[in-house]
Amino acid sequence: MKYAALVVKNLARSKRRTIFTLISIAVSLFIFSALVSMPAVVNRFLADPAASNRVACHNKAGVTYGIPEAYKQAIAATPHVEAVVAQSWFGGIYHEVADQFPNMSVDPEQVGAMWPDWEIAPDALERFQHLRTAALVGPETMRRFGFHLGQRIMLRGTIYPFNVTLDIVGTLNGKAPPSFLVFRRDYLEEVRGRPGFVDVIWVRVDRAANVPQVITALDENFANSSAETLTEPEAAFYGNFIAGYRVFFRMAELMGILVVFAIGLVAANTAAMSIRERRTEIAVLRSIGFPTRTILAMLLAESLLIALAGWLLGCCGAFLLLRSITVQGVVGAIQMPTSVLFIAFAVAVLIGLVSAIVPASAAARRNIVEALRAVA
Amino acid sequence: MQRAAHSEGAALRLDTPTPPAVELDQVRRIYRRDEFAVHALDNVSLTIPPARFVAIMGPSGSGKTTLLNLIAGIDHPSSGRVAVGGEEISSKKDRELAAWRARHIGLVFQFYNLIPVLTARENVDLPLLLTTLNKRDRRAHVETALRAVGLGDRMDHYPRQLSGGQEQRVAIARAIVTDPTIVVADEPTGDLDATSAEEILNLLGELNRRFGKTIVMVTHDSRAEHHVDEIYRLDKGILTGVEPGRRRLA
Repeated sequence: MKYAALVVKNLARSKRRTIFTLISIAVSLFIFSALVSMPAVVNRFLADPAASNRVACHNKAGVTYGIPEAYKQAIAATPHVEAVVAQSWFGGIYHEVADQFPNMSVDPEQVGAMWPDWEIAPDALERFQHLRTAALVGPETMRRFGFHLGQRIMLRGTIYPFNVTLDIVGTLNGKAPPSFLVFRRDYLEEVRGRPGFVDVIWVRVDRAANVPQVITALDENFANSSAETLTEPEAAFYGNFIAGYRVFFRMAELMGILVVFAIGLVAANTAAMSIRERRTEIAVLRSIGFPTRTILAMLLAESLLIALAGWLLGCCGAFLLLRSITVQGVVGAIQMPTSVLFIAFAVAVLIGLVSAIVPASAAARRNIVEALRAVA
Repeated sequence: MQRAAHSEGAALRLDTPTPPAVELDQVRRIYRRDEFAVHALDNVSLTIPPARFVAIMGPSGSGKTTLLNLIAGIDHPSSGRVAVGGEEISSKKDRELAAWRARHIGLVFQFYNLIPVLTARENVDLPLLLTTLNKRDRRAHVETALRAVGLGDRMDHYPRQLSGGQEQRVAIARAIVTDPTIVVADEPTGDLDATSAEEILNLLGELNRRFGKTIVMVTHDSRAEHHVDEIYRLDKGILTGVEPGRRRLA
């Protein structure tokens, strides 16, 4: 600790350089944290363990082709099936085009049985089953648009040439995607003119071990029909659904890593300059008797302090920013998982150490006589 | 001045016959510059008794600084033996030498070499960071050293706020604060005007007289001859003679 004052004084030697280095590391870690958080949100969504008992049955050719509503009865009669809920995507917007969020219609009867992990309040579930225009809304969307229970809202159709007027009767909680809005499919069907097709039929299986058996049974049952099905576990379904974004996520991760790498090089150059300017002082410290490892530790501590201050500013800034504002992602608002804080911390430590290790090591081990002669 | 709390006490040395402050026995130092071998010191042998103020003089390139570096333990001889305070240092490894320098050597440079972001007090405190002294004791040692060099009223000044002579005084305070066995000074007046140079020479002389410090100084400054006990003359890496300084003659 007695060397701490020396480390701090050296950091304050060139305040402008220290501040700019700190800011550049902070900005890079801000970008890194924000970009890495995007796939992390999806991964967290797909890793939801409660999803393991649910399977999605949809047209083999793709979700947008639809399957007959009549499949519901056949599916419900399949062994090990506990609940069946048909779903049709609505994809409406609230006011502006930018007001997009996931909204869809579902059969109301077995919503509670299908998604117990959504923790819908019993009275809300009851109202949902009795009011034709009822809607259940995730907390993120409630907060985003300032909705409140009992409010009547109108969603403008983007796929369909009509709007729907909905009454908010409850909220989706627990592990429900926080940006989802669900309303009753019978209402949508009525407005659509009852075409008899749905996008997906959700199936809840009694036990996770029976999921493969049910999947096989369903797909075999509808084989060689006009609408062959592809049934898959919930995680796989969402995984395929957002597969198109995976390239974007990979690119985001790559961009984050590249930004950090670039700033790492800048930090290395700055550390090298800073240490090169102090070669004589380092030689003087060694001539006084400072051990090489103590000098090395002090130089690394300087670099580490800047990097950690950059982490505090950049990563924690991103964490707080993403908490305070809503950035809508594919499967909900993007928020930084706590794990990203730790990853970014490790990255900051790496930047701090790696950027300074070579010049610091060279300066701390340089021949004292040569270093002193270089000045004189 | 009180000796700073290093692991070795001063009492042991009082009970044993006092060894020479510096002893060089047939010391050679050869530098390799590409394919050339530069004989900086050639077969130099000398003995400096304790509590002496000596100057090493000679033309540029005569090996003065090389000799000083060997005595200070920041360079190794190519052959021969170097002992300081009775302790042979020529065979020590770098890590051992660093610890040894912290205990036994006070260094003064031509260009002061103070850390510009530290105050006079903090600069003088640097060697004490390597000791086991607590903060309060370190502070007391630092203030004693700075008062001894006449800078009791400049303790919290930064080097840029001091004159060249004052900076060199801070450097001398830094060199003596641990009460080292020997103070080595490389051209301590080389960057100073005549008045400041005289003040520094007087100060070194006084430190030698009052505290019995052994001071080995490399210098071109002919005024130094008036202040030292002996002058060792070097030329082309060879010790050409030892003559008494005028202080001794007086």
